[in-house]
Amino acid sequence: MNRYFLYLVLLNMLINVIIFVPKILIEYRYDGAVMGVLIAIPIGIALNYLFSTTLTKFPQQGLPEIISLLKHHWFGVVHLVGIQLVWFTAGLITLISFIDILTRFINPEMPKLLLLTIFLAALFLIIQMPTDRVMYLLEIILFLNTPLIAFIIFKAFSNEYLSWDSMLEVGTHIWAWPSLKAIAAATYCFSGYTNLIIFNRVIKGKLKLWNFFIITVLGVFNLFTTFFIPIGFHGSDGAQELLYPWITTADSLRLVYSPIERVIFLFLMFYMSISLMSISIHWHVALELLKGTFRGKVNMKKNWIVLSFFGVFSVIGVIYLNALLLNKITVYWLIGRLGFELLVVCIFFFWARRRAA
Amino acid sequence: MNFLNKWKYLMIVVMSVLLLTSCGFKDIDKRYFVVSIGVDLDKTNSKRYLVSLKFAVSNASKETPTEFQIISEKANSMSEAVRMIKTKVDKEIDFSHAKAIVLSEELVREKGNAGIYYWFARRRDIQKISWVAIGRPSALKVLKVKPKSERIPSNALFLSLGKDGSESPYVMSEFLFDMKYRLIERGIDPVLPIIDAKKGFFEINKVGLFNKSHMILTLPPEETKILNFLRRREEKSSNKITRGKTTIVIDTHKVNTKYKIVTPKGKAPFIKVNVSVEGNLEETTKRVPKEKLSDFERAAEKSISKEVKNILVKIQKANLDPIGFGLRYRSRHFNNDDWEQWKQIYPTIAFKVQTKVQIEDTGLIE
Repeated sequence: MNRYFLYLVLLNMLINVIIFVPKILIEYRYDGAVMGVLIAIPIGIALNYLFSTTLTKFPQQGLPEIISLLKHHWFGVVHLVGIQLVWFTAGLITLISFIDILTRFINPEMPKLLLLTIFLAALFLIIQMPTDRVMYLLEIILFLNTPLIAFIIFKAFSNEYLSWDSMLEVGTHIWAWPSLKAIAAATYCFSGYTNLIIFNRVIKGKLKLWNFFIITVLGVFNLFTTFFIPIGFHGSDGAQELLYPWITTADSLRLVYSPIERVIFLFLMFYMSISLMSISIHWHVALELLKGTFRGKVNMKKNWIVLSFFGVFSVIGVIYLNALLLNKITVYWLIGRLGFELLVVCIFFFWARRRAA
Repeated sequence: MNFLNKWKYLMIVVMSVLLLTSCGFKDIDKRYFVVSIGVDLDKTNSKRYLVSLKFAVSNASKETPTEFQIISEKANSMSEAVRMIKTKVDKEIDFSHAKAIVLSEELVREKGNAGIYYWFARRRDIQKISWVAIGRPSALKVLKVKPKSERIPSNALFLSLGKDGSESPYVMSEFLFDMKYRLIERGIDPVLPIIDAKKGFFEINKVGLFNKSHMILTLPPEETKILNFLRRREEKSSNKITRGKTTIVIDTHKVNTKYKIVTPKGKAPFIKVNVSVEGNLEETTKRVPKEKLSDFERAAEKSISKEVKNILVKIQKANLDPIGFGLRYRSRHFNNDDWEQWKQIYPTIAFKVQTKVQIEDTGLIE
């Protein structure tokens, strides 16, 4: 039984709304996004399967412990630093993008840096906690938010303004040559498993096959929702004009008899905790990996130096990156991440096999 | 954590939450809420538009009906107008409760006003679920109407446009996001309800059909009802059917419309429209015996088919597509030039309408 594994994957599926995945998919809707999504599903599942089954050969060990088995210390350092850079930027993009969303939709008069300070304070508290506590926090937050997000998605599906014809129209472009950018964006939904490199420490027991079955079903549904619901509401031609397709879609829903008629505020409220948790998970992984690169025990001083680097980079990011620029960067970041992910999974898989043999 | 123990740290986090103020540093009593927005063409022609904002004047007591204030400004664009209105009020203008947007008929008949429509969609603080409508004789006159039953400013307008208050097949309400969707999507065109401002009440029973830039056609009430059937938005209605000297009225409670675009090879394409109506007998001019009921059903089928076909042809002649036949064609064809094909097909396509009417009940009287 591994619900924790599912939580990690589910978190990435939920957060893709913030990290421009729908925007990228919708941008390439006539130029290969549909095929890209269809290709991304087997890639995502295969990577999930390969990586997590390999990792379960090292029960309750994270990557730093596994790499310490290596003879060459420098090789381990390169490996860990490379991975931790990707994880840190993943959290950073989510953070900058969500701060932009919050200032845009909830509080335009509030300075971004003040909002960032509050976020960073909470983040530093969470990412320094032991891995198992981070996991429990993730469970609680998903438990509180996922049913309500599922309700919003249900309301979107049952809305009379949802145009299935527009969705089908995009579906008819299935034979367009798949675009790499779309594939990279779509695989992001599945890449939550990579957090296992640290969270494997708290996962007990083996992963059963039905774990992957659930991930397949959830992933397909999630990609369909992410990609097609904004198109159903804003049109096959019109959805690409939106900067945040899902937030505008949430604003197009109406709950007549709820205390708040506009769904957008509920949506942002749920996503506030979900994105906080997603950034914490990514940064917790980054922090733990970085700790693994130091020889010997990590003292307080080193710890705070690392955290202050995190802080400085996010301040620079928030000051210099606006939403449009961030969007452009994210497209290439997603492609880089896909390549890197493939590399890590393959190297790890073959290394583990040789070691076992 | 040596130098900063955990509890102290937690306290800092909790205290920093106090820095978050809900209303962006401006309290609710320093905000002036816009409830509806009206845009007219400027008659004096010194500027292009006349933008009017209807503000709700907040009131401490619940007993007295709330007052409102309308402030208008002439400007060449929406944003200029709003900036100038800001200089006329003492509080911060807040659009988050603006739930109705009224455009005047002259404005929508004119080309080149897409900037206005996009302004609403671009602003982050205007709800995408606000209603858009056409105002007659002018948007400002619509905003000025104050029905007796209204307790909150513009609430009567919200209730009649939404389905919360009165439900009628003659009202075809339209949300802002859906209007934007229809303005861009190839193969489906916008439809906006027309509000007639009367003394002390509104009359909403007509509809204006747009192409991608401006209003082309207005439909009278009966045709609005039929269009509503075709869009499957409202099912309760009454239909008058005359057979010989007897006139009966059917109160429908279920109307279902399906259409299919048939493109047989080598033959002219046509659109098959199936309408099925279920309803009660509500009023007759003469006594209708039970056996004759099916005759009236046949007569009703004939007359509804004819009405549906007439309106479909009328819309087709104007080269408009409020129902979305073009989009349906695009969504069922895999080739990339399906839209170009459809533009050739649509002006000459034939409609085959089939109606099935079922009178289920004759009320309390046999």
